[in-house]
Amino acid sequence: MPLETAGIRKEYPGTVALKDVSLRFEEGKIHALVGKNGAGKSTLVKIFAGAIQPTAGSILLNGMPVQLRSPREALERGIAAVHQELSLVPELTVAENIFLGRLPVRKGFGRKLLVDWREVERRAEETLAGFALNLDVRMKAGRLGVAQQQMVEIAKAMSYNPAVLMLDEPTSALARRETGHLFELLHRLASRGIVLLYISHRLQELQEIADVVSVLRNGEVAGTIGIGDASPATLAGLMFGQTIRAERPPDIPQHAPPALEVRNLTRRGAFSNISFTLARGEILGIAGLLGAGRTELLRAIFGADPVDSGVLVINQTTIRPTSPGQMKRFGIALTPENRKAEGLIQNASTRFNMCLASLDRLTTGGFITRERERTVVRSMVKNLDMLVGDMEAPVSLLSGGNQQKVVAGKWLNTAPSVILFDEPTRGIDVQAKQQMFQIIYGLSRKGISAIVVSSELEELLDICHRILVMHSGRIVKTLEPRRTTIEQLVVACMEGGTAT
Amino acid sequence: MSIRTRFSSYLQSAVLEFVLLILCIALALVAPGFLTAENLLNVLRNVSMQGVIAFGMTMVIIAGEIDLSVGSAVAFSGCLTAYLTEALTGPAAGWSPAAAVPLAMGVTLAVGLLLGTFTGFMRTRYQVPSFITTLALLTGLMGAAELITNGFPINSFPDWYNFFGGGYVVGIPFPAIIFLLVFAVVHILMNLTAFGRAVYAVGGNAEAARLSGINVKFVKTAVLAFTAMLAALSGIMQSAEIMAGTATTARGWELDVIAAVIIGGTSLMGGSGRVWGTMIGIVFLGIIINGMTLLNISEYWQHVVRGVLILAAVLLNRIQAGGEKS
Repeated sequence: MPLETAGIRKEYPGTVALKDVSLRFEEGKIHALVGKNGAGKSTLVKIFAGAIQPTAGSILLNGMPVQLRSPREALERGIAAVHQELSLVPELTVAENIFLGRLPVRKGFGRKLLVDWREVERRAEETLAGFALNLDVRMKAGRLGVAQQQMVEIAKAMSYNPAVLMLDEPTSALARRETGHLFELLHRLASRGIVLLYISHRLQELQEIADVVSVLRNGEVAGTIGIGDASPATLAGLMFGQTIRAERPPDIPQHAPPALEVRNLTRRGAFSNISFTLARGEILGIAGLLGAGRTELLRAIFGADPVDSGVLVINQTTIRPTSPGQMKRFGIALTPENRKAEGLIQNASTRFNMCLASLDRLTTGGFITRERERTVVRSMVKNLDMLVGDMEAPVSLLSGGNQQKVVAGKWLNTAPSVILFDEPTRGIDVQAKQQMFQIIYGLSRKGISAIVVSSELEELLDICHRILVMHSGRIVKTLEPRRTTIEQLVVACMEGGTAT
Repeated sequence: MSIRTRFSSYLQSAVLEFVLLILCIALALVAPGFLTAENLLNVLRNVSMQGVIAFGMTMVIIAGEIDLSVGSAVAFSGCLTAYLTEALTGPAAGWSPAAAVPLAMGVTLAVGLLLGTFTGFMRTRYQVPSFITTLALLTGLMGAAELITNGFPINSFPDWYNFFGGGYVVGIPFPAIIFLLVFAVVHILMNLTAFGRAVYAVGGNAEAARLSGINVKFVKTAVLAFTAMLAALSGIMQSAEIMAGTATTARGWELDVIAAVIIGGTSLMGGSGRVWGTMIGIVFLGIIINGMTLLNISEYWQHVVRGVLILAAVLLNRIQAGGEKS
């Protein structure tokens, strides 16, 4: 049963997530769906899964229009999804997880009251039999490895006998060998004649898994091509389109004495043997795929996670980072990836959050006053061009962009020499993004260096002096943004291996 | 802002204070002898022993932790002071009370500090919740108090020792002075120092605090240690009031203390609360019990009223918080 969409449109207040998407997914083929963040991939998946309804357009299953008003209805129509986050209950057995919510029952006390455990296990084994998985169905799901849990998730989805199976970034947590197993399984499922929809941003693996690739860009179909034509460079071209490059102001200097030197930094399981030098005022980008070790590297430099070996050199002092408090004294700051959970105390006020990292600087004779804090915050709010109604109100009430500025302001108050920005533009609007860049440029003019990790590769090309490309925990390339195209950067992130 | 809305917003921010004021006015009218200096000082003295601990507990709860061991720690500390005094002034050592008592008090305070540090260490080094460690200390210290006293009160104190529990300085009970002093110290610490800000931050979001360069382990350990030391201080004053080290004293105080903190508006979730609120909570509980005693209402009713008060105060708090959000 082929799955089709005809003119699907999805509007949210203020934005259009999908515009006129018409696609056809054939049975027996593995159909990959790619696109950068915000292109509309997950919106489309959610519509197929019945989690949200399209504003306009229709979905056709086997040529017949169908309504998918709830996840349950989608399942009944034969559309099953395996989501990126694993959703097994760790304390329940594999068998229980597969049949959660629909455990077979048997008679007890004169009524059908008791779970028929023998039946549960029999059916679970039957389901898993097709997967060449050597698993004890009585084992608790939490004791399985990530790859095995993923297989169980797929088995669970398959136990509904779906006509369509959607997988959202299934390999993001898997090791290379495990990915191979998964692909074998998917090919076998496809050969049974079901429609397989595969969402991924690992372009390099598509050659192994997909038959057809569709690219979404800004909510529209940028193209559908056979896998034979889908080289990473072609795909990157379709994903990014004609990008207008916002130029970094020409007056951003770099000075000779290094602000920070990283020497052979290694954290087992995250990154190894990282060395580079950061000039004063330099804006250094770090590009790479999810799991390349970018966030882990920033956290380690900041002392948030311990390192196994290697050192930093700041002002001719050799340092092994051990805690954020220590690195703060050496002039290092970090705006974390997860603003909500790690950057801010949500229930506390803007004033409180903005002064949190610089409390020792704000005290006079051991004491701190709200008036003193307010003065500092007021000038920071002005410098960062923020919109804050009441600085005593909880930061949770602020927009994403303003929250990010609170985190930046918190660290600017510590008078740092290097700021590590982890995904500084995630979840903030276009105008706020530009303002973040202006803040970074402003710091650079004052001789303050920045290391920027971002999944928005165009941004890195726009704002950085230099880009390091990480792959599997190593630096594999150093690129000069002015002489690099987005396609080249995407390919560098994908390929890794070939170090220069 | 009109006078009316300004008044109502002020009323909202100080509901508890207004209710307390109304309660006092009502008691002044119906309870003979309530509004006398002697009675009010008496109330202050009665709340002092628990109150001293409550200020520390406020910090602990704001930091996202709890200390259930304070009641047992009071009994244990009184017994330890009495035991050490007895041993030092006994024939074997032969110290004079003037030398023995200060040493016994000093050792007791140090032991308190160590016990709290232990709880903090278990929390920060091994991630054992403070609830568990202090629950263990609650029974452990109760048993330890019985062991060092052999189950009988130790009456080893010289007469002048009574000053620490029953004495007066310019007409004000000594424990009340300590109580006000501890309030002042904690109030300043929490509102006017970097350490106070750090306590709120640690309770609000420990990871965000850590990534702001705050030493989370130190902050947690420090508030737990400080509070355990306040419990030892309270134990000394309590033993001075009854002039003996008794293992059975102060049972259940941890709940009274936590109740006062909660009535004062501090959230058990950590991250928010006021030291001043705890002051109001303590005085509130003290006044209610005093008023009911003056009105000859049964002690059993006092327990019921206390229960109602805890629930009403928290409910009021929640309703206000909900009102702010909508």
